[in-house]
Amino acid sequence: MEIIMAILAGILFTTGIYNLLQKQLLRIVIGTGLISHGAHLFILTMGELKTGAPPILSEGVEKYTDPLPQALILTSIVISFGVTSLLLVLAYRTSKINGTDNMEQMRGTDYE
Amino acid sequence: MSNLTALPIILPLIAGIIMAFIHKKTTIVRRLSQVFTVFNLLVVGGIFLYVLQNGAIILETGDWAAPYGIILVGDLLSMTLVLTSNLVATACVFYAPKSLSKEQEAFYFYSFFFMLIAGVSGAFLTGDLFNLFVFFEVLLMASYGLIVLGNGKAQLRESIKYVLINLFSSMLFVTTIAFLYSVVGTVNMAQVAERVQEVEQQGILTTIAIMFFFVFATKAAVFPLYYWLPRPYISPNPVVSALFGALLTKVGIYSILRIFTLIFNQDVQLTHTLFIYLAALTMIFGVVGALSTNNIKLVVAYNIIPAVGFMLMGIGIFTEVSVSGTIYYLVHDMIIKGALFLLVGAVAYVAGTSDLRKMSGLIHHYPVLGWLFFIASLVLAGIPPFSGFIGKLLLLRGGLAEEEILIVIVGLVTSLLILFSMIRIFIRGFWGEKTEIPLPEREHKGKMMAWPIGLLLTFSVLLGVGAEWFYPSIESISKYLMDPQLYIDSVLKE
Amino acid sequence: MLLVVLLPFIFAIAIPFISKWKDKFHPGVFVTLIPAIIFIYFVRFIGTGFEPLTREYSWIPSLDMNIVFYLDGLSLLFVLLISGIGALVAFYSIYYLHKSEQLGHFYVYFLIFMGSMLGVVLSDNVFVLYSFWEFTSLSSFLLIGFWNYKQESRYGALKSMLITVFGGLSLLGGLIFMSVLTKTTSIQGMIDQQQLILNSEFFPLILGLILLGAFTKSAQFPFHIWLPDAMEAPTPVSAYLHSATMVKAGIYLVARYSPMLSSSEWFFIIVSTVGIITLCWGSYMAVRQTDLKAILAFSTISQLGMIMAMLGFGTEIAVFAAVFHILNHATFKGSLFMVAGIVDHETGTRDIRKLGGLMTFLPITATIALLASFSMAGVPLPFLNGFYSKELFFDASLHLEVSGEGITGFLMSIIPYLAVFGSIFTFVYSMYFFFSSFRGKSNIEQLPKKPHEAPWGMLLSPIILVAAVIVIGLFPHLINQPFIEHAASAVKGMEIHEHHIKFWHGIKTPLIMSLTVVFLGTVLVLSRKVWQPVYNYLPGRLSFNKVYDGMVDRLESYSSIVTKGYMNGSLSRYVRLVLAAILVITFAFMAITGGFTVDTSNLAEITLPEIFVAVLMICAAVGTIITNNRIAAILILGVVGYGLSMLFVLYRAPDLALTQLIIETVTVALFLLAFYHLPKMRKKEESASTRTLNLIISIGFGALMTMIAISAHSSKYFESIANYFLEKSHSLGGGDNVVNVILVDFRGLDTLFEIVVLGIAAMAIYGLVRLRGKEEEEE
Repeated sequence: MEIIMAILAGILFTTGIYNLLQKQLLRIVIGTGLISHGAHLFILTMGELKTGAPPILSEGVEKYTDPLPQALILTSIVISFGVTSLLLVLAYRTSKINGTDNMEQMRGTDYE
Repeated sequence: MSNLTALPIILPLIAGIIMAFIHKKTTIVRRLSQVFTVFNLLVVGGIFLYVLQNGAIILETGDWAAPYGIILVGDLLSMTLVLTSNLVATACVFYAPKSLSKEQEAFYFYSFFFMLIAGVSGAFLTGDLFNLFVFFEVLLMASYGLIVLGNGKAQLRESIKYVLINLFSSMLFVTTIAFLYSVVGTVNMAQVAERVQEVEQQGILTTIAIMFFFVFATKAAVFPLYYWLPRPYISPNPVVSALFGALLTKVGIYSILRIFTLIFNQDVQLTHTLFIYLAALTMIFGVVGALSTNNIKLVVAYNIIPAVGFMLMGIGIFTEVSVSGTIYYLVHDMIIKGALFLLVGAVAYVAGTSDLRKMSGLIHHYPVLGWLFFIASLVLAGIPPFSGFIGKLLLLRGGLAEEEILIVIVGLVTSLLILFSMIRIFIRGFWGEKTEIPLPEREHKGKMMAWPIGLLLTFSVLLGVGAEWFYPSIESISKYLMDPQLYIDSVLKE
Repeated sequence: MLLVVLLPFIFAIAIPFISKWKDKFHPGVFVTLIPAIIFIYFVRFIGTGFEPLTREYSWIPSLDMNIVFYLDGLSLLFVLLISGIGALVAFYSIYYLHKSEQLGHFYVYFLIFMGSMLGVVLSDNVFVLYSFWEFTSLSSFLLIGFWNYKQESRYGALKSMLITVFGGLSLLGGLIFMSVLTKTTSIQGMIDQQQLILNSEFFPLILGLILLGAFTKSAQFPFHIWLPDAMEAPTPVSAYLHSATMVKAGIYLVARYSPMLSSSEWFFIIVSTVGIITLCWGSYMAVRQTDLKAILAFSTISQLGMIMAMLGFGTEIAVFAAVFHILNHATFKGSLFMVAGIVDHETGTRDIRKLGGLMTFLPITATIALLASFSMAGVPLPFLNGFYSKELFFDASLHLEVSGEGITGFLMSIIPYLAVFGSIFTFVYSMYFFFSSFRGKSNIEQLPKKPHEAPWGMLLSPIILVAAVIVIGLFPHLINQPFIEHAASAVKGMEIHEHHIKFWHGIKTPLIMSLTVVFLGTVLVLSRKVWQPVYNYLPGRLSFNKVYDGMVDRLESYSSIVTKGYMNGSLSRYVRLVLAAILVITFAFMAITGGFTVDTSNLAEITLPEIFVAVLMICAAVGTIITNNRIAAILILGVVGYGLSMLFVLYRAPDLALTQLIIETVTVALFLLAFYHLPKMRKKEESASTRTLNLIISIGFGALMTMIAISAHSSKYFESIANYFLEKSHSLGGGDNVVNVILVDFRGLDTLFEIVVLGIAAMAIYGLVRLRGKEEEEE
């Protein structure tokens, strides 16, 4: 199952990067969203999947899943959220001010 | 005493929060920030002296013993870099009011500024990989705040590229940490080091090491990952550029230095040879970039890159001498890059343009700026006895001792071209026929801007002429880095 | 001694304060005193019983960079030249430079140069030497650019800086290399352990680096091109830096390392060849010039070539002659430069086509010029020092102590002829210098100023120098035994006693060579009109200046082309390059280290719900690429997020699932909000090749990550620290939800700063929304 999850996360990265390489800002931002999902899935996979109960201590349970990756993912999710929100607003403002949402038209080599 | 280690992170954090609450009262915020920065500098200086005398101080946050809790390691390397960053920050905070608009100051400039310091200090101090990621995010987020501050058209355009590249590399970072965690079962740097050593960095570990390298190299602007750097760095206000140029790439270099001396030090033949080649390419392409443009800010921004090449070279050669060269260069480069960005900011301000082709004869109106620029150019190019020379000397010595002729020759040629890229600004911009009489208001501000720059340059000169005061401690840092067991033992204390 | 060397630097700092009173007195008066004091301090060391002495001062001992002064005959010769000529030039400059000039700057550079030059010739520590070395280049740069409103000044300054600093860095490379091999930073220490260097496999490289440093500084062919352009500096500077002292730093360096390097055959071949070529090229080029200072510039090049060649010969007599000529050249060339300065000052031009017949107006100057230029020409008269060293040079060229085979043999056979050839032209330009400006028809009307004799103050310095020419010419032994012999012995590395210096040796080959020179030279001068077209025709288009200009221009234009080629501001280009680099290198490393491993023994079983979710997510992820509807794209992204939280549920991570659910919802809302106002999605319009490239890179990257993930999961070498958390969470952390305990307690710092990140993001967003930027700022 881990291998399948790794492949799934890899596919999330692939689609994310493909979107990142596009010109339109919306696609690019969607790409970053996919990449962070992929990253989180990778972290989860790196703990051991499904070999125990949820890491909430209760009596009679011998084996729990690895709690540390979960804690790390949690932190990372929140941080990604912050960055994504900023990115969204930034993307909005940028395309408003520059009058385009096409990154290829925002090269800015006009001054050397 | 160990709580001291947290102060360089906590103090700016508190300051940042305070400034956020009173952000509308610009004058108070400005004064308060200056006081706070100086205070912070003094505190950090004190801690530095303490560490210098008594050795590393280690703080187990929340009293959770290593490797389970997060550890802050205030060793000499970290404290040196924290101190240097605070020095640059001090110059910046005094320069800021002359350079920023009132709105920029009111819109949380000082909060972002302090958060950036907190993030940078945290990144230098932490002994935990995941925590390093968190501090990276803090400093990046603060830098996002700073880079968009002002909402100019070009500025936003460049900001979005900056944010996207960094966001991607952050995701890569956190994923790579997860990979490493899977293999060694821990995120505490000392324990990771111990465990990697135990299995002799076999199997997938070297690949993971390279992934780490790329994550940091993107931040540090190593060839071929620096494309994103020059333009976003010059688009915001000069004071922001100075902070970025002085601190951000250096955090990347620090991380490479730390990770590849402490943790991934087993497969040196392979990884570090790669570094040497990349260092050579970084130098060449960087300096070629610096020669390619007539925008003086861009010249300085491009000059970040060859410096990164020099520092990477020292890590690649991986001897005590070369690593101490890297550390010396690191400290030197933080100061001089800060000074240079402030300086070209001031020059562009008084000249009314950053296009070199439109400048001439500035030295007749602004002799102080002119001579500061001249000295800064020499410092940057590594002309003795200034600080750049000491670092370069160590690096070249280390390189020749290992018979790495190629990189040494590239380094020498690069030094010449760096000097050329700077001196042509001096010749074309400062020399020549006088241009029109400048506006008196600009003249006054231009002079006021020279003070913080002068402060930084004085330290730069001291760092070179007074190398005897600094070098022994730098050498001891290098010895300490080359013997990772010292770090491991002091953290794990078993 | 340290204080004496630092004296110029100390006073350089004081100059700006003094020059405030420049209305009352000329700062040059004050500056003249400094070299005079230094000269007096050092002149007392002259004597037959002189022994080298060392003074050590601590500077950076931990880097082996201490200030060690080593005063032997060679250093003493240079120190006296630097301070002696320095005093004369400083005195001369009082009359040459008007008070309206930026005298403060001038004298600051002047003093920095003087101090650095003293440092170069006295330092035994190679890195200290190098430091001073670069400072001489820099002060020369500033002095050449003194009149920087002139385009030519700026051009000359940049040129001299680039070439000499290039040489300096090459020298640095060589010095570091030697210090690494011998583990010492002392020149004498290196010479003592010369076998370590001579036997090193890198010796040719070291030799090349050191000589490159010396040749660039001493304007040797083909690096001589900076010197003529350096004549843009005020004339006192040309007299001082660009003829008597700085350009001899390269000579000094070669002489200093001679005891070690000269035992190599390559040293002989390279140094003699370059020296002789420089001699011939310089003297031939000098003949073509029409500007007095340009003649002197090429003459300096040629004379430096001659000295260099003699050092290359390395025989006793050659070394002696070289050292002797260093002194002689300084005397006559110094005075000639001052003469050129006087002519310029008094007539307003230095063009020999306009000048002529000045003897009547400037009789004293003319006398000085006559003596000095005849000495330079090597006219056989018993009271001209130039003749003695020229004759020694001929003598040396006939007695080369090398094996007569191969290249050395060839050199041995042609060197005497080249020596004569070069000297003929030396004779010719010396005559031009004198006759075309001081004799012949005068045409005062065409001159910018009406000429009259210079003030005495201006004449004093050249008179002293010409007096030296004659004194040395008449009584060579007066200085030879107590002075020159010591210097020559230091270069040779053994005692040298020289008795050759006599006017009359009888009719021997050197004398015949001298007479040939005079005879043919006179013929050439008299038939000048015939030869002028030849001079102008040859070497025609062959110009090293063009090479330099081309290199500098191309450096900038090619840099521009290269950089614009890849730094085109396109984000997707950046990302593509970055990813491609990571991809290639990481794959390569994985292949080399055999990093990829698969271990299927300890995997969770494959169950249907997860597969279902996974397939759903894959479809959704691919869907974001395919769809052209922005709302759909955003919602599909949401599906991926919800799928992920489903996976969290399935994999026993309840907290994560909840957080992910909430955050995904908010994010989707934000997305919709932000992109509601933006243009609709368009069809992707890039070319098929770009699309393929993108596809390759993204699939490659996904595959890379997957492979590393699988390998990492397959090589769990250690027990995770997580067990500690599971054990202690209840007892020490006081909570049963281990993830929460980790977040708020074990790793509370992470959480604190995670909140900080959110806070900063909030502020940044606020700023973005509220702060109205200036629409387009000045770039």
